[in-house]
Order: sequence, then structure tokens, then C-alpha cells
Amino acid sequence: MIEKLQKLAKDYLISGKVEVIFGLREKDNHLAPYIFTQVEELDSLVISSGQAGMQTVKYPLFYTCRPSKKNIIRLIEEKYPAIKMGVIVKGCEERAFIELAKRNQINMENIEILGVACSREEAIECRCPRPYPNHPLLGEKVEGVLEDKNVGELLNKGLSERLAFWQFQLSKCMKCYGCRNACPLCFCQDCAMEQELWSKIGEIPPEIPIFHFIRFYHLADRCIECGECEKACPMDIPLLTISKQVRKDVKELFNYESGLDLKQESPLLTTLDERPMKEVKNDGI
Amino acid sequence: MKEFEPKIIGFCCNWCTYAGADLAGVSRLQMPPDFRMIRVMCSGTIDPLYVMEAFQKGADGVFIGGCHIGDCHYQTGNHRTKKRVAILKKILSYLGIDPRRVRLEWVSAAEGQKYAEVVTDFVAEIKRLGPNPLKGRLKV
Amino acid sequence: MEYKNVLTVCPYCGCGCNFYLQVLDGELVGILPCKSHLVSQGKLCIKGWNASDFVVSKDRLTKPLRKKNGKFVEISWEEALNLVTEKLTQYSPDAVAVLSSAKCTNEENYLMMKFARAVLKTNSVDHCARLCHAATVVGLGKTFGSGAMTNSIGELEDADCIFVIGSNTTEQHPLIARYIMRAREKGSKLIVADPRLIPLTQFADYHLRQRPGTDVALLNGFMNVILKEGWEDKKFINECTEDFEELKEVAKKYTPEEVEKITGIPQELIIKASRTYAQAKSASLIYSMGITQHTTGVDNVVSCSNLALLTGNVGRPSTGVNPLRGQSNVQGACDMGALPNLYSGYQSVADENARAKFEKAWNTELPTKPGLTVVEMMHEAAKGNLKAIYIMGENPMLSEPDINQVKKALENLEFLVVQDIFLTETAQLADLVLPGTSYAERDGTVTATDRRVQRIRKAIEPIGESKPDWQIICELARKMGSERFEYSSPAEIMDEIASVTPIYGGIGYERIEDIGLQWPCPSKEHPGTPYLHQGKFSRGKGKFFGIEFKEAAELPDADYPLILTTGRTIFHYHTGTMTRRTEALNREVPTGYMEINFKDAEKLNIFEGEIVAVKSRRGKIEVKVQITKKVPEGVIFIPFHFAESPANALTNSAFDPVAKIPEYKVCAVKVEKK
Repeated sequence: MIEKLQKLAKDYLISGKVEVIFGLREKDNHLAPYIFTQVEELDSLVISSGQAGMQTVKYPLFYTCRPSKKNIIRLIEEKYPAIKMGVIVKGCEERAFIELAKRNQINMENIEILGVACSREEAIECRCPRPYPNHPLLGEKVEGVLEDKNVGELLNKGLSERLAFWQFQLSKCMKCYGCRNACPLCFCQDCAMEQELWSKIGEIPPEIPIFHFIRFYHLADRCIECGECEKACPMDIPLLTISKQVRKDVKELFNYESGLDLKQESPLLTTLDERPMKEVKNDGI
Repeated sequence: MKEFEPKIIGFCCNWCTYAGADLAGVSRLQMPPDFRMIRVMCSGTIDPLYVMEAFQKGADGVFIGGCHIGDCHYQTGNHRTKKRVAILKKILSYLGIDPRRVRLEWVSAAEGQKYAEVVTDFVAEIKRLGPNPLKGRLKV
Repeated sequence: MEYKNVLTVCPYCGCGCNFYLQVLDGELVGILPCKSHLVSQGKLCIKGWNASDFVVSKDRLTKPLRKKNGKFVEISWEEALNLVTEKLTQYSPDAVAVLSSAKCTNEENYLMMKFARAVLKTNSVDHCARLCHAATVVGLGKTFGSGAMTNSIGELEDADCIFVIGSNTTEQHPLIARYIMRAREKGSKLIVADPRLIPLTQFADYHLRQRPGTDVALLNGFMNVILKEGWEDKKFINECTEDFEELKEVAKKYTPEEVEKITGIPQELIIKASRTYAQAKSASLIYSMGITQHTTGVDNVVSCSNLALLTGNVGRPSTGVNPLRGQSNVQGACDMGALPNLYSGYQSVADENARAKFEKAWNTELPTKPGLTVVEMMHEAAKGNLKAIYIMGENPMLSEPDINQVKKALENLEFLVVQDIFLTETAQLADLVLPGTSYAERDGTVTATDRRVQRIRKAIEPIGESKPDWQIICELARKMGSERFEYSSPAEIMDEIASVTPIYGGIGYERIEDIGLQWPCPSKEHPGTPYLHQGKFSRGKGKFFGIEFKEAAELPDADYPLILTTGRTIFHYHTGTMTRRTEALNREVPTGYMEINFKDAEKLNIFEGEIVAVKSRRGKIEVKVQITKKVPEGVIFIPFHFAESPANALTNSAFDPVAKIPEYKVCAVKVEKK
């Protein structure tokens, strides 16, 4: 499959459809995002890299660069406004891409999407519900992981059990902000997590659960379930669990799924007439 | 054992609920005293972070009062409130805090009786639910 | 247009995490963690995530500076290097000293010590390891034969019991704390011995709060219980160790009752914790500054090795005695011989054969007398015997104990040249300042705490006129007449290092492109060594020593009733030269503070946030109060990162007689309202 992708990317570059290709490059057993400007360089283009005993390594292409808090594509667009860029996206990246474009964080005009679908094994590893972009040029659309084990375990617990669980997990936090830094949708210039108003600064663990609640709530309509937050946490806190379930709730309440349609606006930014809410009797216990 | 006196924070919108509360007071309706009111211009200004902060600081319950849908002084402010509180309750329940500790009610300026009723009911509910489970468990 | 991700090593602590520096058209735009790295696995702490900010700070030194009439004037490189040459050659070798840097690469440390020995003809080269793990080098050298972390970081995950003593791992080595937590998830037991309530204690099975400075008693207490109950590993002791009788004699006296009197830890806790450690199949002991920074630092380290030897916990995976080295390359600086009594690879200056080897390799005669350590350098400078010091990448004005004396000493020098990336407190006293480059602007290798040699790679061009430190040293050496400092790249320097340093013998740039190599790596085919002393110790057999408990040098008394212990916070790093120029970190902890217990605060009638004066026999500072139960009664804690409330103005410069490491962890102070 990777040879097909390399050929496709080369064709795009040679034909002049795009001037550069943005994808993952493998060098000396290490994988990182890279901008390919020459056709020969595309021989080292990969989608993911597997090392024995370790999870498949993948990088989303939309890391928000700090301290500017803009993602790479936006930085390039600002410097080179007319450049035509081909971006190799998997399902999660396209969802991030659409959410960012909705919020004016990238300009879709000069970007060509080269969509690649992930395999079933990869979907299981990432616990991804939709391991393919809208129109994949390579790979088959396979079924994602719709029932997540961690979410199931959480929902099986009673309220006080849940509280005890999160008290333990969140108290491991060492305030690295990795979850926020790794999230493609966390680009606010004035991040609420940094403000002393909501949680005391300069101590670990930070005030819990409000410190992590900020992210859970602010990402309710934006989370695309890429799982980067969990992968970036040095203390293995299962952050994706709540975000995944909230995304499901948003779908149930508002019939809205983030990252699928550029024209669908977030329900939390619209009125009840524009996007009504389903009445729920059970308070969600 | 001393009876549990709950601490309840009430965010009340200036145009409807606050006026309704005023009416209830003027009409000498009986209401429980354990209710700390904070007047806001519209229930739509309530960031769920305020609610979480209230719980973090030890509140046992949070009440949000706004105008009826369609009657908001700012047209659609209360639409936002309704949506936000729904999401907020879900997240609270996943974290292990009973979502019934948050109550959203539409109370108009003329509904003094209704105000007294919902507040009394809410305080009773919180007394049933018991103290905030976060209290005393936050510090190492 | 060019966008690339350059893989490099984090410049902060000894975990050795890797990340990519994102570079767009020659400009640093961000940091991406490296998911395929063995240790960090795509995760970083808050310092690592923000490690690119200070590189482009506007405070960066861009040109050489010379002090004229008390002010700094910019001069050219030619003038600067000529000045250094002129000044350093006019003094005899006994009157000059060199301070190398644990932040600079292995190549630079090697060149610095070669410069000091071959060009300046002095053995007085030292670096900040003297202030943190000198006790480890001496202590573990005595007992095992090799003074480095015996096992690897990843192995901690599979230990059955982890004993953390004197290390605030979560705050100081966050990615190592990750493995401790993972071990715990897998069922391992965790014992933590620390006077403070550090973040790890809430996950510990046993938390022992010993009185500061009583670690030998605590460890002897463990050994007493183990010997009494017969939990020692008799087979291991018979086959692999010597002088066991000496230890038995001493340990007999430290009954749990006695130890409770000395340390304040309840007897039952000592017994339970020792049982857990002794009966675990694989038990790892982790230690850091709480053990080494004492006048009994070497004794503390030796007691740790005694405990591990007693229970057979050395020479197997997931066991061992694991000192956590602080700086990104302090292990490398020690390995490269930036020490007054050792050449690279821990070959002794006093050893005739070693000296002959280096004399041949460098084609020059070398001095025979061991040189001065950093603390002695300050004393000699104050007396006027030391006339000139060349400091690279160190900030003794904030990191040494009793900094008022340090200031006097440095000001008494006739010539002080400082090579650094910022105008630090030390650089401000210099006669000449040379601008070096940060980790992002040059190539080289650094060695993490688990002996892993990794590549740092150049991501952007040097800022302004700053030069890579190795180039500066080479140019200086050439100006002073040496012909042995011609290198076209750091890779060549590493080849020379490999040729004279047996433990680095097989290390070359082509071999460490992907995951680096752990020394000892004696030949090009050798795959590196994850854990040491397998089957046989570096010195043959592990040696026991009977260690008696001695109190710290300065105990509290009527005039100065509180104990001051110093340390760090996760948000800042050492003297703050890099972290206090980083917005994200400064925002979390903008100023210094003092932790004091509720009861002490009540007695003194001080309240939260108040600025109080803290005095010791050596100095006085003003600092903000933080009332907490993290510190026990009678103890206060001040982090030393802040120049405006420098904890080291108060600390005692008394040091361990062999390792010469100062006692940062215990001194007597009093607190007064302003």
C-alpha cells in the first residue's frame, strides 16, 4: 500500500497539481512530519511505522505549534499564501482538518487532500470509531471500534466509584499540558487551563477535577477522538474515555458529529431553532 | 448529629428569575434560607466552569434560573444555557458527581410561587443527596 | 521553503527524553515529542514541551563582551580570544582553573579537560557534578567499582519493589516517575523515604519521613531487621561479595528502637518496609540528592549499596542501585573526565599507565598532581592563590553553597572568563564573556542518567555571533600553540574519545543515529550494556562497608531553630537561566517561595503570601511564605532557582571529606517577620 501512496504523491508533485506534499517521513527508524519538495524524497514517505514490541507510531499533521499556537499548515499558509499543498490525511486528520477549517484556523482553498484509510488492526489499536476520511484515495473503508472497553467500564461503575476512579487517575497529573499541546483542536491564545482563576498555578497535582474538566467541556463539540491526548500523557491517565462518551452524547442530543461536514456548525454555537436538542428524561446517570 | 445544612449557589437571571425571586419574597412565601443568590444579566452568561468551580470550592448544589424559552431578554441567550447545561450534566455524571446537583429552571418575573416551589424542592433534593463528595478529598 | 523535524535530546534533566524541534525556514516554531523513543515514548514534561522558548530569547548573548570600567562593551572574537590567550598564559598552572559544563556535550567536556591538562597544564578541571553526584562516583566506585546507574530506566517497570529514597522523582525526573507508576500498576510495591510529602507519597505503600540527615541510620535499620529475620541473600553474599562481617557488626547496633530515636520513623514501619524490600524478587533502589548532598554523602551512598548487596539486588534486570543524575549531560561530563583526579573513562590521574597513554595520545607532557575541586577553587580564589578561572556553562553564583563567599572569591580573581548563552549572575562578574550556543544550534552527544549516549542535532544556525563551544575551545587551544585541536566536526572528536576511553570504545556517530548506546560499549560490535555487574562486579566482588551514623554538620540550636532543606520544583530548572526566560514556566511559578509547616507558621505568627526574612549564619534572604503540611514540623524548604531569593545564600559550605560535595540538605536557619 505504501508504494501506491508514494506513487500517487509523486504523480501529484510531478503533474504540478501541488507544489509540496505534507506527510510523514521515516529516517533512521524515526518518524516525523515533513514537507516533501522533491520527488526523490518521496521514497521515504510512510503512513505509520511499526517497531517490534511498540505501538504503531503515527503522527497527526496538525500539532499546534507553541508558542504561536498555530498549526504548521496555517504557519505555512501565512508565509506562502499561494502555495498549493498536498496533505496526506488519515481519517482522524481529516476530521481535525475540517474542525480547524470551520474555525478559520486553516484555509482549505489551496489544499489537496490525499485521503488514506486505515486497516482494521490500526483502528483497533487507536480505538478509532471511523478509520477513514470521507473520500479515501487509497485503502478500503473498514468498520471502526464502536464500543470502547474503557468507556464501557466507566459506565458500569456507580457514581461514587467513578469519583474514586477519577480522584486516583487525575491525581497522577504532573501538569505537563501534554494533553492540551497534543490536541489538534486546542489552539486558544488564552487557554483557560493556564488561568489562575480556575485552578491554582504552580503546584502538582493541579486542582482536580476542574483542571481536566476544562478540557472535557471545551472539547465537547470539537473532540475528534484521535487519542493524542492519552498518548501524550506521561502518567497514562485515560483522558480519552470521557471525551469519547461526551462525543457520543453530543451526537445523541444534537444529532451532530464533529469533523464530518465542513458546513455543519457546532451545536453549542447555535440556537435551539438552528440545531434543536433532544429532550432527555434520564439525567445521564 | 447536626443536620446537614447544604450550601447552594443560585445563578439567577436579572430579568426573569431574579424578579421572580423578589416577588416571592415580597409575597412573604416560605423559602429555605440556605440559598446564596448571584444575579447575572442572562442565564446564557453562565459558563459551566463557574458551576464546576462552585463544586470545587465546596458547594453542595448549583441552581441556574433563566427566562422561558422565547422570552429571553436577549432573544436566544437561554438557548445556549439549555444546551450547555445538558453537556455539563453529562460530564459531571462521568466524573462521579451526581448531575442532580445542578438544576436548570425557567422562572418568569411573575412566577413568584413557582420560584418558591422549585427552590424548596431543590434544597430538599440536595439534603437527600448529601454533602458534596469532593469536599475534603481534593488535597493530598 | 523548508520544514523539517530535527530529532534531539531535551536539554533539561537526565531522563534523556527525545523530541523533534520543528523548524520552518530556519526558524524554530515548536516541539513535537518523539513517539518512537525508548524512554520518553512520545511524552514530555512541561519543561520539555517548552524547551525551544529560551533558545530564541532576546536575552541571548550574541557577541563577546569585555568589561571596561564596570560596564560590558562588545568586542570582536579576534580581540576576545587574544585577550584570553594573553591572560591565561601569564599565570603558572597552579594559579588557573577550569569549570566545565554538564550542559555541554561529551565532545566539549573532553576538549575542555584536554585543554586544561594539555594546554594550561593543570588538573584543576571540575564541574557541577561535584555539587550533586560526586558522592555517587566515590561511593559506588568503592563498593561496586563503577559509579553509575546500574540498571536502565525501562527496567523499572518490571521491578517487584521500588525503594525511592531522597528523590522527588515526579518533579525532578518526571519520565522516570512514569515507569515507577507503571510498575505500581503492574503490582509492584513502592516505598518512599523523604522528609517531605512529595507527589510520589500518595501512591506509596510505605512513606518513611526521616529527619533530614539521618539516612545512614534508616538504612542500617533496614539491614538490622533483614539480618535478624534472615531475609538476606546468603548465596549472593557468599559468592559475589566481601567484608560481610564488617557490615554485620555495625548493623547489629541499629535496632528499630534505636533507629526510631534517631530518625523519628515508627518501628513497625521500618520493619514492614524492610520486609517488603527484602522479600521482593527484584527490588530497585532509586536515590538522588537527598542521599548525596550531605557531609555524609559518601556514607549514604555506601549504605544504599550495602542494602542492595545484602539482598542480592544487583546485577540482574529491574534491580540495582540507581542514582538519578540531574543535568542532561552530567553523566557524560563525568565520563569524559572533567574531574580533577580522573581522565575520561574514570582512569585515574595518579595511575602511571593511564597518564602515559594520554601523554602519547595528546603528544605532550601532562601534570601529575590532582587538581582542585570546585569548592576548593572558591576557597583558593578567596585566599588569592588562584588567579584565573575559565568557566563554561556553569552558574556558581547561584548554585554553590554560601554564595556570599563565592561572590567574594570570584571578585578576588585577577581574570574571570565566562562562556555561556545568557548573562548569568556569574557572567555579570566576569572580565570577559564569550557567547556559546544552545543545544539546538550544534551537533554532539550527551549521556543520559542510564548511561545512554544519544545525539543532539543542530536545528538552526547559531544566534548572532555565538559559536559552538567546541569550536571556541579549539580556536583558543590553537592560539595558545597546540596542534592537537584540529577537528572538522564533533564526530571526529568522538572518534578520538573512543580511542582513549575503553567504556566508550565502540561509540561512533554512525552507531548512535537511532536509539543511542549504553556504555560500557568497548568495541564496534558491542551492543551496549543495559545493566551492570552481571555475574561479576566492575571491581571483582561487591564490597561491604560498616558505616556508622553521623549527624549533619550544622544542626538547629537556640539561635537558629529550624532546619533548611533546599531542592527543586518541576516548573523550573536549577539556576533558572533557561526556565525563567520561558513564559509557560514563569507563569506557573513566577517567584521564589518557602514551604513551612502550619504549626511553625502559627508559632511565628506569619501568614500565607507574606514576605519574611530567613537568616542563617552565612546570609539572609527575603522570601514569600507558603504554609503547607508538605514539610514536617521544624523543617522549611526553599527551592534554589530564584536569584531574588537565593536559597544558597543560606546554605552551609561544609562538605563530605572524600567527595567534597556540599551539604545542601541540612543547615540551621531562623525565620523572622520583616
